[in-house]
Amino acid sequence: MRTTTKRAIVPLMALALLGAACTSDGDSESGDSTPDGTEAPAATDAPDATTATTDTDDTVEVVQETESTLAKVIDAGVFKCGTRDALPGFAFLDPSGEHVGFDSDFCRVIAAAVLGDATAVEMVDLETDARFTALQSGEVDALVRNTTWTATRDGAEGATFLQPTFYDGQAMMVASDSGFESLADMNNVVICVAQGTTTEGNAAAEAAKLGLTWEVRAFEDPELIQEAFIAGQCDGWSSDNSQLTGFRSAYPEGPEALTILSDEVFSKEPLAPAVADGDSEWAQAVSWAIFATIQAEEFGITSENIDTFAETTDPAIQAFLGQEVDGAVLDPGLGLPTDFAYQVVSQVGNYGEIFDRHLTPLGLERGVNALWSDGGLIYAPPYR
Amino acid sequence: MTAALGTPRVPFWRDVRVLKWVVQIVVVAAVVAFILWLYGNYVENAERQNIPTGLEFLDNPAAFQITGNPLSQSAPVSDALYQGFLNTLRIAVAGIIAATLLGTIVGIARLSKNWIVARMATVYVELVRNVPLALFVTAAFSVVVLGVFPAVQEAWTPLGLMVISNRGVAVPWFEGSGRGLLLTIAVAALAWWVVAKWRGRVADRTGHLPRSGLWGGIAFVVVMVVGWFAFGTEATFPDLDGRSSVGGIRIDPSFFALFLALVIYTASHIAEIVRGSIQAVARGQAEAADAIALSGFQKMWYVVLPQAFRVAIPPIGNQYLNLIKNSSLGAAIGYYDLTLVTKTAVGNGAPAVPAFTLTMVIYIAISLVTSLIVNIANRRMALVER
Repeated sequence: MRTTTKRAIVPLMALALLGAACTSDGDSESGDSTPDGTEAPAATDAPDATTATTDTDDTVEVVQETESTLAKVIDAGVFKCGTRDALPGFAFLDPSGEHVGFDSDFCRVIAAAVLGDATAVEMVDLETDARFTALQSGEVDALVRNTTWTATRDGAEGATFLQPTFYDGQAMMVASDSGFESLADMNNVVICVAQGTTTEGNAAAEAAKLGLTWEVRAFEDPELIQEAFIAGQCDGWSSDNSQLTGFRSAYPEGPEALTILSDEVFSKEPLAPAVADGDSEWAQAVSWAIFATIQAEEFGITSENIDTFAETTDPAIQAFLGQEVDGAVLDPGLGLPTDFAYQVVSQVGNYGEIFDRHLTPLGLERGVNALWSDGGLIYAPPYR
Repeated sequence: MTAALGTPRVPFWRDVRVLKWVVQIVVVAAVVAFILWLYGNYVENAERQNIPTGLEFLDNPAAFQITGNPLSQSAPVSDALYQGFLNTLRIAVAGIIAATLLGTIVGIARLSKNWIVARMATVYVELVRNVPLALFVTAAFSVVVLGVFPAVQEAWTPLGLMVISNRGVAVPWFEGSGRGLLLTIAVAALAWWVVAKWRGRVADRTGHLPRSGLWGGIAFVVVMVVGWFAFGTEATFPDLDGRSSVGGIRIDPSFFALFLALVIYTASHIAEIVRGSIQAVARGQAEAADAIALSGFQKMWYVVLPQAFRVAIPPIGNQYLNLIKNSSLGAAIGYYDLTLVTKTAVGNGAPAVPAFTLTMVIYIAISLVTSLIVNIANRRMALVER
């Protein structure tokens, strides 16, 4: 009962807006437009709304269009990747305006797998609070934007999360001269975080768990957090460990001025690419593009040595690189070219190379992001 | 002009009255159809992707905290939105009062015969009016709060009454029953009004100066003092305690910065309205006031301003609406108004379309109520004219 009334409110609100628009449009005679409008609550039921829309030819087309994003990307010849522009190590702009970083490289990995060309990617910079809307509306084909996989996001944001590219956790960064050595020292302090992220909730939960009083201040962009931190408005700067490492490396007073309390990581933050719900063909293609980088590292294939594998006799590697095995090329039916793994590794590199290129310089260790065979969590299903 | 040439019946497709109707109906139908089409597409796309389209998200836990608010993070989203709504009202009420005072003073100053005062007011108005508000908001935070105010360890404590640092401005406050204090203030205001009325009647009867402000003020203070002790209210003064202040009440630094920016910006617009309205009052009125030897203040207070405000109320009302809507810029500096709470909720799993639609409807409601109040004030002022 309660649900139905709530559901009815949204269309009513839209109609109320419409009513307001009408009365300002015409003179008082158009008053009968409002009864016209209020009849429409029939449209509360979704089926009714769709029948009403089938009058327009365009809609019919949209409704019947069930083409996978995979086909759309191949048709367009360019992959639109939702990313960001100011997170050192993951995605930021170099002086020539090029996107550089771990996430940016995974955008290129997907483009190389699907289109055979790592440069056929259009980077779309998204604000944190706009990223899911952009994905839902098809403004971007996939989101590779440092996004934590959570149940609510999987369920309510219309996103399907795929293989995590980085297992992160939230940590606390403090000024080295502050005297804070553990979270337990930090009572009655101000913690600064970025807005619209899971960070806010994690910080509040951790403070409650430790019985501490934290005042959490949330800012729109990291530059302002840094400013507030330098001015001494914040005692702690909390974010994902990887992000803190990035900000620390670029801190104006030098990285030594900051200390990350990295022994006390207080949340699980699997950063995973996401695609829109309801398109498993595309989801599989993106997943396997990422698995290819992991599998390549496991095989020891890098962008440097990949051509030496042309004469390999290992059938698993031959199949992986799209070479003939006993006169046949393995096509698992993912909708990707059979040599997609070759394109990914030769043009961008394997997982370890991507990690070393962007995250090792920040001072991040492989840690849980080592291959499973080295005791980490990075694991790819077999390619066969 | 013969009967044979009598006006022929205009066919309905050329009849202006019919055409007017037809055009209106077509326009309305097209708008309705377009919105239904958009809404239908939205619902369909949302359902295909399993995105909720209703308001059920309001009952989910918010999972975030609101700075300077004891709201628990497991409280439902609806409670968080309500706190955001209250924060929007707080900044709106405080901003409107301060901007009106500052704007009126600057508006009068622009017409001052003192050259320096008039020039300074002009420079203020022209500089401020021509800069985007978003810049003021960020600047008020970065420059004033972060740049000028000291870190909390070196906080300023003027007279021991306030603690000013970049973690907020703590001021003295009261401790005790909030309702009791409100009641006291209401009774004191009533006492002021009654005494002022009585002084007016005495003045009419005897011809002495009424001095209603002085008498009313004394009555106000007396009632306040009596009420203060009767309810056992106590004052608390802020004091520095390590990394925060205790006692008094602490004004959030984001609130302070947003308040500063909104007041400075809106006051520059109100000043222009006040100046224009004063100039719109017939010159003879001020000359007549001079002729009966009223002082400069009396001339403004009793003769010019009451007439000027009659002209100024509708445009100033528009500025109030602007201020309320502009308060959403505080999101950038972390002031948890309605907009920022909605954005945070959306970032934590609330569906964007219903959440933002709801927020828009709340803003429309706030604006409509404000317009209503301004209209009532306008009507009352207009009646006095007759």
